[in-house]
Amino acid sequence: MEFPILSTVTFLPLAGAVLIMLIQSLTGRQPDQAEGPDDRVLYAGLVFSVATFLVSLVMFFAVQVEVPGYQLVEDVSWFAGIHYRMGVDGLSVALILLTTFLTPIALFASLGSIRQRLTEYVVAFLVLETFMIGVFCALDLVVFYIFFEAGLIPMFIIIGVWGGADRIYASFKFFLYTLLGSLFMLAAIVYMYLTAGTSDIVALEQFAFDPKAQTWLFLAFFASFAVKLPMWPVHTWLPDAHVQAPTAGSVILAGVLLKMGGYGLLRFSLPMFPDASLLFQPLVFTLSVIAIVYASLVAWRQTDMKKLIAYSSVAHMGFVTLGIFSFNEVGVQGAVFQMLSHGLISGALFLIVGIVYDRMHTREIAAYGGLANRMPIYATLFMLFTMANVGLPGTSGFVGEILTMTGAFQASTWAAAGAALGVIFSAVYMLTLYRRTVFGTITNPALEQIQDMTAKELFCIVPLAAGTILFGVMPNLIFDVTRESSLRVLSLMAGG
Amino acid sequence: MLSDSALLFIVLAPGLAALIAGGFKVYIGDRGAMVVTTGTVLLAGLLSLFQLFRFTFAAGHGDGEAIHTALTTHGPHIITLMSWIDVGAFQADWAIRVDALSIVMMAVITSVSGLVHLYSWGYMSEDPHRARFFAYLSLFTFAMLMLVTADNFIQLFFGWEGVGLASYLLIGFWFTKTAPNDASIKAFVTNRVGDFGLALGIMAVFLVFGTVEFAPVLEAIRTNAELVPLALAAPGTARDVIVPFLGHDLPALELIGILLFIGAMGKSAQFFLHVWLPDAMEGPTPVSALIHAATMVTAGVYLVCLMSPIYEYAPVAAGLITLTGAVTAIYAATVGMAQNDIKRVIAYSTCSQLGYMFFAAGVGAYEAAMFHLFTHAFFKALLFLGAGSVIHGCHHEQDMRRMGGIARFMPLTYAAMLIGTIAIIGLGLPFTSLGFSGFFSKDAIIESAFSASLVGVRFADLAFWLGLTAALLTSFYSWRLIYMTFHGPRAEHDTHHEGSAQVEEEDHGHAHGSEPHESPLVMLVPLGVLALGAMFAGVLFYDPMFHHGDAFWGEALYRSADNHVIHDIDKLKYDASYAWVFWAPLVVTLIGFALATFTYLFNRGIGHRIAQTGGPLHSLFANKWYFDEIYQATLIRGSRWLGDMFWKVGDKQLIDGLGPDGVTGLVRWGSRRLSAMHSGYLYHYAFVIIGAALIFGAVLFWRVGGAG
Repeated sequence: MEFPILSTVTFLPLAGAVLIMLIQSLTGRQPDQAEGPDDRVLYAGLVFSVATFLVSLVMFFAVQVEVPGYQLVEDVSWFAGIHYRMGVDGLSVALILLTTFLTPIALFASLGSIRQRLTEYVVAFLVLETFMIGVFCALDLVVFYIFFEAGLIPMFIIIGVWGGADRIYASFKFFLYTLLGSLFMLAAIVYMYLTAGTSDIVALEQFAFDPKAQTWLFLAFFASFAVKLPMWPVHTWLPDAHVQAPTAGSVILAGVLLKMGGYGLLRFSLPMFPDASLLFQPLVFTLSVIAIVYASLVAWRQTDMKKLIAYSSVAHMGFVTLGIFSFNEVGVQGAVFQMLSHGLISGALFLIVGIVYDRMHTREIAAYGGLANRMPIYATLFMLFTMANVGLPGTSGFVGEILTMTGAFQASTWAAAGAALGVIFSAVYMLTLYRRTVFGTITNPALEQIQDMTAKELFCIVPLAAGTILFGVMPNLIFDVTRESSLRVLSLMAGG
Repeated sequence: MLSDSALLFIVLAPGLAALIAGGFKVYIGDRGAMVVTTGTVLLAGLLSLFQLFRFTFAAGHGDGEAIHTALTTHGPHIITLMSWIDVGAFQADWAIRVDALSIVMMAVITSVSGLVHLYSWGYMSEDPHRARFFAYLSLFTFAMLMLVTADNFIQLFFGWEGVGLASYLLIGFWFTKTAPNDASIKAFVTNRVGDFGLALGIMAVFLVFGTVEFAPVLEAIRTNAELVPLALAAPGTARDVIVPFLGHDLPALELIGILLFIGAMGKSAQFFLHVWLPDAMEGPTPVSALIHAATMVTAGVYLVCLMSPIYEYAPVAAGLITLTGAVTAIYAATVGMAQNDIKRVIAYSTCSQLGYMFFAAGVGAYEAAMFHLFTHAFFKALLFLGAGSVIHGCHHEQDMRRMGGIARFMPLTYAAMLIGTIAIIGLGLPFTSLGFSGFFSKDAIIESAFSASLVGVRFADLAFWLGLTAALLTSFYSWRLIYMTFHGPRAEHDTHHEGSAQVEEEDHGHAHGSEPHESPLVMLVPLGVLALGAMFAGVLFYDPMFHHGDAFWGEALYRSADNHVIHDIDKLKYDASYAWVFWAPLVVTLIGFALATFTYLFNRGIGHRIAQTGGPLHSLFANKWYFDEIYQATLIRGSRWLGDMFWKVGDKQLIDGLGPDGVTGLVRWGSRRLSAMHSGYLYHYAFVIIGAALIFGAVLFWRVGGAG
């Protein structure tokens, strides 16, 4: 048997988490001692997450993306016909790289801003990383479901323990919404297992479910994925979760967790329930366009920076569903690209907010203004991501938006026109935010002495900035990776 | 045509210079940044001008001839840099396209930009953020060049939004002030409204033609090829495909034409989407000259001309362009008459001149539109830089009511402004080659509209009459500007001026009080060069660009077989009964001149009295027909209200109220009722236990009894 590289990537962070806890308990150091948290714990976590990134790079080069189908497959029989089965294609590889790329950045960004229970914090992130990677690798429904649901727990804890003042409400809301969606999915998985006699994803892709059953199965899966994405009207957990979550939590939440919804749609809904997908195309288009317009307008009215960006995430994920359900290469490729690009841009925007939050301990837009006078580097990078978020060509934000809209245009001109309206509104809310925080004169005296970005903060943001521009100018770097898997989804859907 | 490497330099070097100036200011300093950007763009300007002249005048001698034939008969020369987006049929490259259109645009952009860079050495000499300013200027130049050298819609869109970004950054350059910040957002968002149309237009192009590259799309229309749209529409010949759009079945070319034109309306500040341009004057004046007069705002005209095959077979869309252009021309001219801010007068004048270009394109005289674009760039940049020189000399005073009589303080600026004014009003002698630039190009447009109206082109007659009236108004407001600014007595100094003069004096480091002063040489040289353009660009290029435009533009501009608008002008010229058409522009110009001279030079009080007593017409003009107020009351307040409703009612009350909060509330209510039963009193429990036992017993008895 070959070296199980997928399992290595998946469980390396978990191993790190276990090791860190072991060392912690063996050395007997108690957390929260008078001298403050021990940053070495965080560095240890960083080492493991960077190592995971490196291993995932090795995995990336081991995969031949131009070959369709799953690769690096590992298969161990588990019980009752359920296998521990892992495998990747271009789509999963891209999302895994996004995960392993963002996790070290999120951890490093926490340096200095998390003052209590640092060990548990690092462990929670490493465990979360394992579950996230697992979701993208799983080739068995049950294994997928376990990773998918387990990921809830560390995020629930991250928000509930290290969150803001209203963290309990936010974490429960997050948990309730996502769990509710998942219960339907669990029922659907049981039904599929009993009907098809297997939980193997590859086999299920070929299995033709009865169209009537497809409708119910589609809705059950959709309930879960729509909450994760999130789509209107099940999006209200996201603003609360983001506002309360610590910066790094928001980065991972927006950067990776939301993408599980889009991944699920591409991996399960389209290939396994093609008739139902077609049936529900108008519904999904309607919801997507509502999400784009509605969330953009709501974002404009926010007074809290993080909430604004959270609503902007809802709008941008609307483009993802729009692209996926246009059922053509342009739309699907655009949706995949949009997911990756949004991972970079929204992650960066939450870091940007976190930088001033660490200094001023407020996210109120009104408390800022005139930052450009004191923080020119910050202002420059903020401008870059503002423009990326409004989809300026040359940044990665543009490519995803134009392709998803072009794809949707072929299916429904209404949907494309509605989504294009969102492009106007995105400029309104982002430029308003930027203007109120960065431009103008300093009115809040507390800002007079504010520091520009530190080396640590630059170290977190600059890779994201580089990615945003690189993929904006050379998006083919991503399309070449995801092309075959996107085409495969479409051909499976067409009954291939 | 230049070598590929020279072309690469022209297009890409300004971008690189912007990066260096913006990113390495710490190492090279302000002066370094200025040298790098100015040097690069000036060099690019020289190369582009050389290219233009060789392309235009070398016909007949060897090398140039060959280039000319190559470009006009074999289509554009394209340098592909690399693939940008490669998704199925959606193929877009980073490329540089060289044809007659882009050669002209490159020359305009880089030469004006180079002069504006140079001018800014003087104008911005006291600004602490010079490196940033020059970086933005070069960034703009780069984006604009990418726009005009694109070989596909997506790179065009890159340039389109890129110049929008640069415009946004430069309007809001003085970021601590409120007005520039508001204006910059307004500009970006209004342009986005236009981009909404442009983006949908591009999507429609992809749907119908299955590609986003220019060449195959335009070729398919020229040859009326058989097309198989990707979806929604039935196959057919290119000019007859019908596309469903928002519930209506529309001819594909009309739909695409209108959508693309909406984009052009935003960028070129046409009626309804013009509101951002006057406000954009909050930016530094060199910016207004470069971006909001000579180059960026003409991108819409360029787009329409580039897409000439579409508009040749989309009469409704073309009619819409004619109508919008004509209305804008007259609308902006009326508003321009009643403004007191020197820059706003010129801004509305720009708006009006763009209207001329559009209706020229709308009636099918693309050559006239492009020719006016070309000449307008020089004299409008000259007027703006001249106004900047006035503002600089008057210590940042922009209100013409506080100027007057400054001709003797700044004779060179005065001369430049005079030349610009004579050029814009189009003074020249019909049937001869005597005249300033505007004479050739504006008269060409008016004549084209007339000639088109004879063959019944939609709205051409309206455009002719509105264009003629606007010419009168143009002459009036242009001379009004000259008289209010340069002639008459020095205006009284009010407190406002005294107050700010103190500050400005320190700014300038000059010690001559509040008296106006002539600008430094570095600002006057660009004025001089542009004045040459304003005087001679028309006479030099009238024949190649307009009169014998076919040979010059080649395939870059397309006319259908039955479009004879421009050829007919020649016939009209030899028909004595139409001589009035050629004299009319001169006559109305002189009337406007006389009116302005009477009102603002000989009887200076009259203009003031008009403004005082006003009347509804004056307040309509002075308040820009209340567009800002109407938009504020409807669109902006409407969407703000909608946003609040969605948030507070939609999210909080409905979704959360019925969803999680409702469910938790229900559970909490239920559990409270349940826990209320656990009162702790023994007799409560005893009651429940005994009651339950009785019920169970009864059921048991009944069951057993039933069984028995």
